[in-house]
Amino acid sequence: MTSLIILSGSPSVTSRTGALSDHLATRLRGDGHTASVVRVRDLPAEPLLHADSTHPKIAEVADAIAGAHGVVVASPVYKAAYSGVLKLLLDLLPQFALAGKVVLPVVTGGTPAHVLAIDYALRPVLSSLGADHIVPGWFVLDRHVEPLPGDARLDQRAAEDLYPIVDAFSEVVRGRHALAVA
Amino acid sequence: MTTIMAISAGLSQPSSTRMLADRLAAEVKADHTETVELREYAHDITDHLLTRFANARLRPVLRRLADADGLILVTPVFTASFSGLFKSFLDIVEPDALQGKPVLIGATGGTERHSLVLEHALRPVLTYLRAVVLPTAVYAASADWGNDTDLSRRIARAAGELAAEVARRPAVGRVDPFADPVPFTDLLADISGRTDHD
Ligand SMILES: Cc1cc2nc3c(=O)[nH]c(=O)nc-3n(C[C@H](O)[C@H](O)[C@H](O)COP(=O)(O)O)c2cc1C
Repeated sequence: MTSLIILSGSPSVTSRTGALSDHLATRLRGDGHTASVVRVRDLPAEPLLHADSTHPKIAEVADAIAGAHGVVVASPVYKAAYSGVLKLLLDLLPQFALAGKVVLPVVTGGTPAHVLAIDYALRPVLSSLGADHIVPGWFVLDRHVEPLPGDARLDQRAAEDLYPIVDAFSEVVRGRHALAVA
Repeated sequence: MTTIMAISAGLSQPSSTRMLADRLAAEVKADHTETVELREYAHDITDHLLTRFANARLRPVLRRLADADGLILVTPVFTASFSGLFKSFLDIVEPDALQGKPVLIGATGGTERHSLVLEHALRPVLTYLRAVVLPTAVYAASADWGNDTDLSRRIARAAGELAAEVARRPAVGRVDPFADPVPFTDLLADISGRTDHD
């Protein structure tokens, strides 16, 4: 069984990024993986701000990432880049925390003018964390995500664009795992 | 007298990149503006890359660029970055030609989704060349043409920034040794002064 972790980097309670993350987790479970969502905002602020990677809650996340086959990194676009909250967590991970993993970047944002934040801002960070294979990511407009309890309702067109990207990620994770155990 | 040079790296004819360059240039309202299309110099630019030598066609363009008070640089977005022709041109510009020069950057593309090319690709290169890159960069997507979008407002804002920056600094133009000659009487006075002391 392949395990996936979804890191969701929004500070907001009613986060569209968070809702989208839950939605993706459900889809990926339906495709045969185990998937858990970590919302950075639910982690204790003190160790995040003081870069305390020994804190049990942070170590727990680092361990979960270490054990995962694939990681979805989800962030809202803030000021033309990923959120600071997401970076707080990434900065606490070991240098090559994403080594050996397949990574899917997903961002939500208010304007399509900022789509390239995925490839120009987020992707280099994921590469520097040693990610083996960063599959093409996707940008979802905030108004196309309606948060529901533990899920999200997606605009139909947005879903038609996003699902093939997510399914391709799922396939790559499965394919690499099959190779590794063969 | 202020001179603005707009450079368009558009390849098509007619070119929306050229159109954006012209609209930005017109809005700056300088004493003298010209738009240069790099496609007309594509062979000369390539020759320069290969020979490290500006030919007779290219030399005056590079000179006018160095002499301009402000520049407008506009590229089409090709595969999520500036065009090869645009970068080739920056590659042959003398390393210090853009130093301290106010530069307005713009780009055109099919989709608004590539707007950040301005901030992630153009701005860093021009900063490296030590140009003064103005805060407002203008991106025009296909949907901006012929529709009621805020493109005109962005053009006005960016052009205003360039005009203000140019107005703030002394004119760049080359020192012309004949532009401000020492009056003949002064020369005579100089000679007579010297004879006094001899
Ligand atoms: C501080 C802040 C800055 C933002 N900056 C941008 C931005 O530069 N570009 C963009 O497309 N959207 C921007 N937005 C909009 C958010 O990216 C968008 O609403 C996103 O879906 C919010 O996700 P969340 O609900 O998970 O926090 C910004 C929102 C906030 C609160």
